[in-house]
Amino acid sequence: MKMKFTPLFLLVLCLATTLASGQTSQISGKITSEEGDPLPGASIQVMGTMVGTVTNLDGKYVLETPSYATKLIISYIGYETAEVEIGDRSVIDYQLYPDIQQLGEIVVTAMGLEQEKRSLGYAVAELGSKEITQSKQPNVVNALAGQVSGVQITNSGGAPGMSSRIIIRGITSLNPNADNQPLFVVDGVPIDNSTSESVDNTPRGLSNRAADINPNDIENISVLKGAAATALYGVRAANGAVIITTKKGKRGAVSINVKSSVGFDQINKYPDFQEQYGQGFSGDYSTDSFWPSWGAPIVAGQVIDPSYKFYDNTRNVMQTGKQFDNYISVSGGDDYTTFFGSVSNFQQEGVIPFSTWDRTSVKLSGDVKVSDKFNFSGSLNYIKSGGDRVPHDRIMETLMYWAVTQDATDYLNPDGTQKTYGNSNPLYAARFWTYEDDVNRMIGNINLNYKPLDWLAISYRLGTDYYSDQRTEIEPGPIGAENEVPISSTGFIEETRINSRDINSTLNLTINKKFNERFSSILRIGQDLFDRSSNSLVATGNEFDIPLFYHMSNTKELLNSQSKSQRRLIGVYGDLMLNFDDMLYLNFTGRNDWTSTLAKANRSFFYPSVSLGFVFDEVLNLPTAVSYSKFRASFAEVGKDASPYQTAKTYESASGFPLNGELGYTRSNVLGSPELRPERTTSLEFGLEASFLQNRLGFDLTWYQSNSKDQIIPVPVSNATGFTRLVTNAGELENKGIELVLNGTPISTLDFEWDIRLNFTRNSNTVVSIREGIESIPVGSQFGYVGATTSMILNEGDPYGNLYGTSYERYYADGKPEELEELDRDLPLLIDDDGFPTRNGDQLIIGNAQPKWMAGLSNSFTYKGINLSFLIDVRYGIDQFDQYGNFYSAFGFLDYSLNRNDVVIFDGFLENGSANTKPVWLGQGLGPDYANYGPGFYRNDYRGVSENFVKDASFIKLRNITLGYDLPASLLDSTPIKGVNFSISANNILLWTPWKGFDPESFSAGASGNATAFTGLGYPGVQSYFFTLNLTF
Amino acid sequence: MLTKMKYKNKSVAILLALVFLPMINGCESYLDINKDPNNPTTAPITGLLAHASFETGDNVQNISNITSYYMQYLASPNAASSSDTQEPVPYDQTWFELYDVMTDLSDLEVQAGELNARNYLGIAKILKAINLGLTIDLWGNIPYTEAFFAETLTPAYDSDQVLYDTLQQLLDEAIVMLGSGEFTFEVGNDDFIYEGDIDLWIKTAHALKARYLLHLSKTPEFNAANVLSAIDKSYADNVEDATVSYFEEQINPWASVAQANDALILGGWISEQLVEAMDGTSYGVVDPRMPYMFGETENGEFVGTENGAGRGDAPEQGARSTLVLGTYYSSRTSPLEIITYAECKFIEAEAALATNPARAYNAYLNGIIAHMEKVGVESDEIQAYISNPAVAVGAGALTSDLIMKEKYLAMFLNPESWVDGRRYDYNYKDMTAPQNLNPNLGGQFLRRLIYPESETQRNGLNVPNVNLLNRLWWDK
Repeated sequence: MKMKFTPLFLLVLCLATTLASGQTSQISGKITSEEGDPLPGASIQVMGTMVGTVTNLDGKYVLETPSYATKLIISYIGYETAEVEIGDRSVIDYQLYPDIQQLGEIVVTAMGLEQEKRSLGYAVAELGSKEITQSKQPNVVNALAGQVSGVQITNSGGAPGMSSRIIIRGITSLNPNADNQPLFVVDGVPIDNSTSESVDNTPRGLSNRAADINPNDIENISVLKGAAATALYGVRAANGAVIITTKKGKRGAVSINVKSSVGFDQINKYPDFQEQYGQGFSGDYSTDSFWPSWGAPIVAGQVIDPSYKFYDNTRNVMQTGKQFDNYISVSGGDDYTTFFGSVSNFQQEGVIPFSTWDRTSVKLSGDVKVSDKFNFSGSLNYIKSGGDRVPHDRIMETLMYWAVTQDATDYLNPDGTQKTYGNSNPLYAARFWTYEDDVNRMIGNINLNYKPLDWLAISYRLGTDYYSDQRTEIEPGPIGAENEVPISSTGFIEETRINSRDINSTLNLTINKKFNERFSSILRIGQDLFDRSSNSLVATGNEFDIPLFYHMSNTKELLNSQSKSQRRLIGVYGDLMLNFDDMLYLNFTGRNDWTSTLAKANRSFFYPSVSLGFVFDEVLNLPTAVSYSKFRASFAEVGKDASPYQTAKTYESASGFPLNGELGYTRSNVLGSPELRPERTTSLEFGLEASFLQNRLGFDLTWYQSNSKDQIIPVPVSNATGFTRLVTNAGELENKGIELVLNGTPISTLDFEWDIRLNFTRNSNTVVSIREGIESIPVGSQFGYVGATTSMILNEGDPYGNLYGTSYERYYADGKPEELEELDRDLPLLIDDDGFPTRNGDQLIIGNAQPKWMAGLSNSFTYKGINLSFLIDVRYGIDQFDQYGNFYSAFGFLDYSLNRNDVVIFDGFLENGSANTKPVWLGQGLGPDYANYGPGFYRNDYRGVSENFVKDASFIKLRNITLGYDLPASLLDSTPIKGVNFSISANNILLWTPWKGFDPESFSAGASGNATAFTGLGYPGVQSYFFTLNLTF
Repeated sequence: MLTKMKYKNKSVAILLALVFLPMINGCESYLDINKDPNNPTTAPITGLLAHASFETGDNVQNISNITSYYMQYLASPNAASSSDTQEPVPYDQTWFELYDVMTDLSDLEVQAGELNARNYLGIAKILKAINLGLTIDLWGNIPYTEAFFAETLTPAYDSDQVLYDTLQQLLDEAIVMLGSGEFTFEVGNDDFIYEGDIDLWIKTAHALKARYLLHLSKTPEFNAANVLSAIDKSYADNVEDATVSYFEEQINPWASVAQANDALILGGWISEQLVEAMDGTSYGVVDPRMPYMFGETENGEFVGTENGAGRGDAPEQGARSTLVLGTYYSSRTSPLEIITYAECKFIEAEAALATNPARAYNAYLNGIIAHMEKVGVESDEIQAYISNPAVAVGAGALTSDLIMKEKYLAMFLNPESWVDGRRYDYNYKDMTAPQNLNPNLGGQFLRRLIYPESETQRNGLNVPNVNLLNRLWWDK
């Protein structure tokens, strides 16, 4: 096809350009392959012009070039494009090399299949080792932030080892407790990425289990976004999949890599504190009041006590966090065996003193080629991780109660008791109320590959992910000293033991068939088995008898609880790929799953997908400026089973029991149903990708829509039924969006290269339906003072993530609408007769917690051995409830409350429509008008209105900037060292946001929760600086 | 070549069949693992009784935490708090807890019936009558006959008048069950009210019958003689009171309120109405019970908070009377009252007043004495109070106003008081509407609760359309 049309087209083009140009000279030559064979039809073009020609059957060409021509661009499909200096030559022969990049750009897709990117009918994003490790994020989820379109990463806070949440193409489940995160797969074996938060009510910021994976061991990551991409994984990847491939040994001499990095963390953003008013209430001077900062002006206090002063306790209590990451890997191999081994140790101390997280990882993998037909490989990764998870919520809360005129860092009496003027000290709790987790984990797999025939390959993979997570929480009781103020009057010890075991087994047959030169097929069929079993045991001992002796046997009351879970899944799948002329690719898949979590009659379910990849530049005779262009389309369906134990009616052990030696039972509030059917998600995706000017510029545009129907959700029912929720198939959630990736290389010379990549994501979702008679599903809520509590509620017809709360009443010139659902913040306030804004206690929509769009921009500049790169991450149009803000407002902590003694007239209208003119005092007690203002505006009004704390949490972040330097190889000639790289980098050092307070990227639910709009009193976000040395031997 | 190919294809097919078929066939039993290992599918009757009897106490307190503001025992420290000002609040959690306990009691009835455990069955019916009565008296018409077993997801509402017959029926059945002598199973510590004392349960059934019969005082169905005959079979002493026990591990919910108030999570503040009813302001007699019921200010005074007004410029601690640890009602292991001997005495006084003033007067005095002794008042103080002319009016001068006044004090924090308040049309001396009263009430006190949102949103077609001034059938 190409042979027929392209030369003609180019000939015309060539003629036209020749005629158009003035002074010319002639260049001729021959283009050959590596082996010396002529390449007929290769394109020769003068750089920067439309002047060009193609080679004839002998690979020869003649080209008239304008006098200003300096370079030729020589290209041939499947070969690397070359730029050749013309100089004063008139004969230019050239040898082209096969382009592994373009022809064979291989990506890892579902089931660990390595496929040509060219052939895929759906979007796949890939990140290499450098992109993953550059930001020095110990948590692989965080390492993806801002780098992949369609992917939303939210760090739950700045604690060492804290979980991070990943959502691909929006939330897909109406079930508030559903895990909407993708499947994580390492070397073909799915691993556990659950986040198991602490059982008691104080959040501890535990890890998502993927944080156990050492990013340094990762070769690349593929992100599979749509249902077509994940169709083979089926159920478990219904929310997408993150496919991690770890480093393997390569043939050749043994290579040793040593990497050492040290990092420092600081809180990147603080609220604006007021520094003028001290401890007390109503402006009174006090040194023992509960109230931290409603007291006298500090200057006035200094008259009474000259040493009276402001302490910036929040900053003073924090420390510079430290991280140390040491890594060594050894790899190598010969024609028959390769091996890879690594040992690493990561240690981190957080910005809140006493918070730590460490990870030690040992990994071994190897590949043995027994014969041309048979090889096997295996990998084993042992990880030990954990640390002291300080009660950050309590620490940050007590910091807000601690008087600004008392030193919070002075927390310890010589006898070990808490030093305080009355209120609880944040550092004392940080140090003594400990919660340590200790995870021991083994991830391993073994692969057998047998290729009995040219066209048949059989592979079998067995993987296991086993971990034990042992946790010990100790809240000390009194130590028995005189006048001590203990954290707790009794104290307790809580021991948690979580054991989890995953087994995955996959058998796969691949049948290749080439029908003729232009038509071939690959058929894969396989069987897949997943078995997870977990057991969690929590024992609590209350009230220590002997002080400071923390052991179960030393407690007066013992309580325990247990939760076991087992899930099994068997799948059979088929995947047929048809390839017409390396141009049109058609892919059909089908999978049938049998799950243990549904009743027998409904446990089997089938779902298909079809996708098309059409590489059309060769068909449509696009200008040569278009190096590659492809259209993609796919339709896929995926089924999803229930979580275990949702099919029966049960009783549960009642909370508060055993009591007085009796067990209590109550009927479970959730009614399971044996009739549950699998959920269905259908998705449609179209994409267009192209690259131009020899791949110097490219784009990839994707549009998708997915509808998740028949969701298995616990729908709320009338409590009179004897249940509060019935697990049933109901409801539909729709996600629609576009993803755009632009990449370019604006400058590329021998010494200097500038690469730029931009990704943009817009996802919008709608709760299409819930269930007849059910109007809404509450997802979560967070406490705010006197009615400022804010909730996330799903309502039919609305997008996911609407936030409901109280507001200031507005003035409606034409009367208040009857059924007001959403607050219009632009309307004027309705002012009460007392001169203060009127509060509207109705729950109105006051924000939405899903971003309107997200974008990431990365730039990389390389000049000789120096590389500078940076990554900017943007999220826009996202609202959050600021619980910090609510608490701060109640205690007069922030700078805006400096107007506490002002007389103001609130802007707004009275009920009768006249503008408010009544001056009011914002302070506490008797005002200048001798009226009694009670606890004052901030405590009476401001803190009780959710609207004041639901705010825009958009941000632009400089996620990472790195400057690296490779020592020139010439300097290392006489040493055993092959390469030296030194880099300095910084994370989050720039942040633009309208949000007041700490870094808005924080939420209290942990990665497993969906109520992400609530900051809670989270562990504040950090910025970090790293120094890294990397040696290769 | 061709045959070889075929042969190979065939062998592949056989290989496939060998690999896949057993897996699919064998998977049936392999997948039969969805039996919940954490939660049983049946519960023992002892565990159901333990939970239901204990949680009944929590239900009483939950409701009291609403009605005590309407009855002005308590007042919110915050101005214009919705319970003070009688706003239409959908009390979802309270509704849920009541149905949760009634559901467990329904299961207990079924299982005890199957086991012929008549003592469990009788106690279950009494507890159900308690919780059902509480629910009816808050909301009127409620789901009952179609409730508890999810036979329908939108259970119909039964009329409150019909459900009052159900209450008597439950109690009558209970009395028969419990009076039948020998029991195959023994009730013990799983009964957090009487630890299995069947005689006291029977007395409680009669006391409850009397209570519910008295509720009909405004209706033509009212029969004082029936009330009195039920009272005759009820309690003889304070020690027989139906109260739920609390423990150091599970402290009395009012003690939690008092403890939280100490930690500045404000609550449990005493209403000015109650303080003035006891400190001589309203009735000219100082009631010795005050220090035994609630706390004093830093200055050693009893100062109430006006309902709906909030604390104004009063600091958050030390300036007003609140529930405090250490008193009869709000110590950590205080019992929580469901129905008491003292209440029975006032029921008796009210029922006998028209026909037998002497009996009524005697019951009136005994009711006062019983309550005073219970909260710990010294006997000389009791004597002084009951001989005060404002109290000791003599049988001939006893009025229902006096009975209601004394019952109001003796029923401190008991939700039954709100039934009295409505029967009595809130006619207590000096009981004025709260500040910032819900303007939609037109200056009147509310008569019922609105239905919870869980019902309007999930069972909307069945929920009656009501407002706060609609009266229950016995209140008309």
